[in-house]
Amino acid sequence: MFIRTAQADPSLDVFRAEVRAFLAEELPGETKRKQELGQFIDREEHGAWLRRLGARDWLTGKWPKEHGGLDWGPEQFSVFSEELGRADAPPIVPFGVNMVGPVLYTFGTEKQRKQYLPGIIKHDTWWCQGYSEPGAGSDLANLQTRAVQDGDNYVVNGQKIWTSYAHWADMMFCLVRTDTEVKKQEGISFLLIDMKTPGITVRPIIGITKGHHLNEVFFEDVRVPVANRVGEENQGWTYAKFLLGNERVGVADIGKFERYLLSLQQLLNDTKENGKPLAGEPEFQQKVADLEVSLETVKALAADQLSAARRDGSPTLMGAAALKLRSSEFQQDALQSIMDVLARHSLVYQTDALHPGWNGDLVGPDEMAGLIYEHLYRRAATIYGGSSEVQKNIIAKGALRL
Amino acid sequence: MPAFNSEERQLLHDSVQGFFQSQYNFEHFRKLSDPAHADGFDRAAWTEYANLGWLGVALPENAGGTAAGMTELGIIMAAAGSALALEPFLATVVLGASAIEFAGTPAQQSLLSDIGTGSYTLAFCHTEPDAGFARGYVNTIARVTDSGFSLSGEKSFALHAQAADALIVSARIGDADGPLALFVVPASASGITRKTAATLDNRRGASVTLTDVNVDGISRLGSTDQDQTATVDRILDRAVMAVCAEAAGAMETVTQQTVDYLTTREQFGQPLAKFQVLQHRLVDMNISSESARAATHAALIALDESAADAQTKVWRAKVQMARSARYVGGQAIQLHGGMGMTDELAIGHYYKRLTLCETMFGDAQWYLKQLANADGSESS
Repeated sequence: MFIRTAQADPSLDVFRAEVRAFLAEELPGETKRKQELGQFIDREEHGAWLRRLGARDWLTGKWPKEHGGLDWGPEQFSVFSEELGRADAPPIVPFGVNMVGPVLYTFGTEKQRKQYLPGIIKHDTWWCQGYSEPGAGSDLANLQTRAVQDGDNYVVNGQKIWTSYAHWADMMFCLVRTDTEVKKQEGISFLLIDMKTPGITVRPIIGITKGHHLNEVFFEDVRVPVANRVGEENQGWTYAKFLLGNERVGVADIGKFERYLLSLQQLLNDTKENGKPLAGEPEFQQKVADLEVSLETVKALAADQLSAARRDGSPTLMGAAALKLRSSEFQQDALQSIMDVLARHSLVYQTDALHPGWNGDLVGPDEMAGLIYEHLYRRAATIYGGSSEVQKNIIAKGALRL
Repeated sequence: MPAFNSEERQLLHDSVQGFFQSQYNFEHFRKLSDPAHADGFDRAAWTEYANLGWLGVALPENAGGTAAGMTELGIIMAAAGSALALEPFLATVVLGASAIEFAGTPAQQSLLSDIGTGSYTLAFCHTEPDAGFARGYVNTIARVTDSGFSLSGEKSFALHAQAADALIVSARIGDADGPLALFVVPASASGITRKTAATLDNRRGASVTLTDVNVDGISRLGSTDQDQTATVDRILDRAVMAVCAEAAGAMETVTQQTVDYLTTREQFGQPLAKFQVLQHRLVDMNISSESARAATHAALIALDESAADAQTKVWRAKVQMARSARYVGGQAIQLHGGMGMTDELAIGHYYKRLTLCETMFGDAQWYLKQLANADGSESS
């Protein structure tokens, strides 16, 4: 209890200043403006930003030097993430840099590393994640997409769902079933699939936001070289668990959370009731204080996990699950308060305003469309990345041993 | 007012539910809510509602109505909520009609029969950009002219203001300290500009700017310049009641849909409904939904009986409904997992409808504040 293992590191302040300077100089004003309004950023613009980070090797700063990374410790990565969040930069898409990259440098062959790692480091390759299926959500091991060996290839048939950015992706890392006779977890393999392979169909899924980033991906007799399998056949679940464990090192998005509170305060200042700013209402002042308490707690939980990662190489099972749980709840809470203010403007939702270049008439504040979008999107925060119910099961079984 | 008896209410309930279930399924809602749809609501259905007597259910008999009460209107609104109906019930039958009924002269009340026949729709343009949820904050001015009045001011987004035959506009006569009056402004009057948009739950409306809009003397509801602030209060309380009923219907439907989903969706080798945690969540949704319905019913009765504490009951019902709507709507998405986040499923649309019901005309926090500040004039 209260045994702090992380030392304050002055070099991190220097790094933080370096990241801020980089953002001030290199994040295009046009991109920043779109981000402020929550407008959609296309593949070119988002890719261009990621390539700027890639030019500094900052996308993969956490990776070991021997694989092209900069050996950042968890605290340095945390500073980096925070500053990008504070600056409202377009998000670093995690599928290459946080997921398949580490799987490749841990379990891949030398040939696979040479072929795929440079593209991840520099963002020359868009990756997507073929995991969930209609029948395999929380119960991922239930996946049915089948890969049958035929000479030097696997022939893949099946369907993936909730595939973020499949419509932009060059490559997919995909969990497939290579053995139907054994226990579910023991018949899964990890394949790298070129999205241009014949037989792949990508179908957009429109969200409640009316936006599109998710897809269904259908595989009909898709031929994938056996050489594209990572690691051993039927060992894919091990790599998947490694990847999910790695995902949990991802810290809570503190920079973004701080921006929610800034947006809320701005709205309270600008929105009037009975002719007076809502910022003067005691109920709202208390709510802001309440959210600040919650954010402080989330930061403290995150700091604990950094200490654990420094000490033991990874966050604790309980700590990571608790952090995910509380972060997602904070997010929804903060956005709900923003919606409460926007309700004074009748919650008009002009999705046209999310497309840059639209010059129609806005009803209500400029930021309203983007904020409503974010609120709707984050209704999934308690569902994606392991639902809140699953996180509680993880804690119950893994930490409390129930 | 001669309210329906229980048998008549059951018949009305069965009739409206039956209509919506057979004529207004989710696919129909999707077609109407598409931005490409010309109206954003079903004009043919509106005529049907009129023919079935539903638009006149709360209108006075001399306007061709049934002169039943809020409870009967509530039965209709609940069915509309269950079906995610997009027609302008709130704007026309509740807000607009109430304004005319409460403030209009006998001659002006003749407009009500056109509402009942479905040939005349209204929007209620009262709230202004800096008003928030406050009911009495109006800066639109009605300057007295030789022929009547000239209206100038800004009105916030109002449901159906893009397509209504007339706008009921509140304005102060003479100057900012003048008495609040209500005006029936034809949609085609010159000096009106609109910004048309849709709410999160796909209901269309518009914010309205009035620049020297000339109306004749008889456009002002009532025969004198009496202040109508208390009338506006009554109108808005009726609207609060109507959205409580609408939400009750939506919550009942979305709770049942969630039960059905968890019963069929299998993970880890069994239907999700077998997990006790999720069973209790469904029970919580049910109880929350029932609580809102019960509180709404109590308030409807209080209004119909002109009880002295009717306003307090209405405000309390709104608070209860808001709490329930937030919980039930949110859990409906959560329990549907990824599917609940798609535009394709009805669940997200119910979530959006409940979000609007929760906040329209004031949210829980607003009404709690009003209740706390009330000077205790309710009867014990």
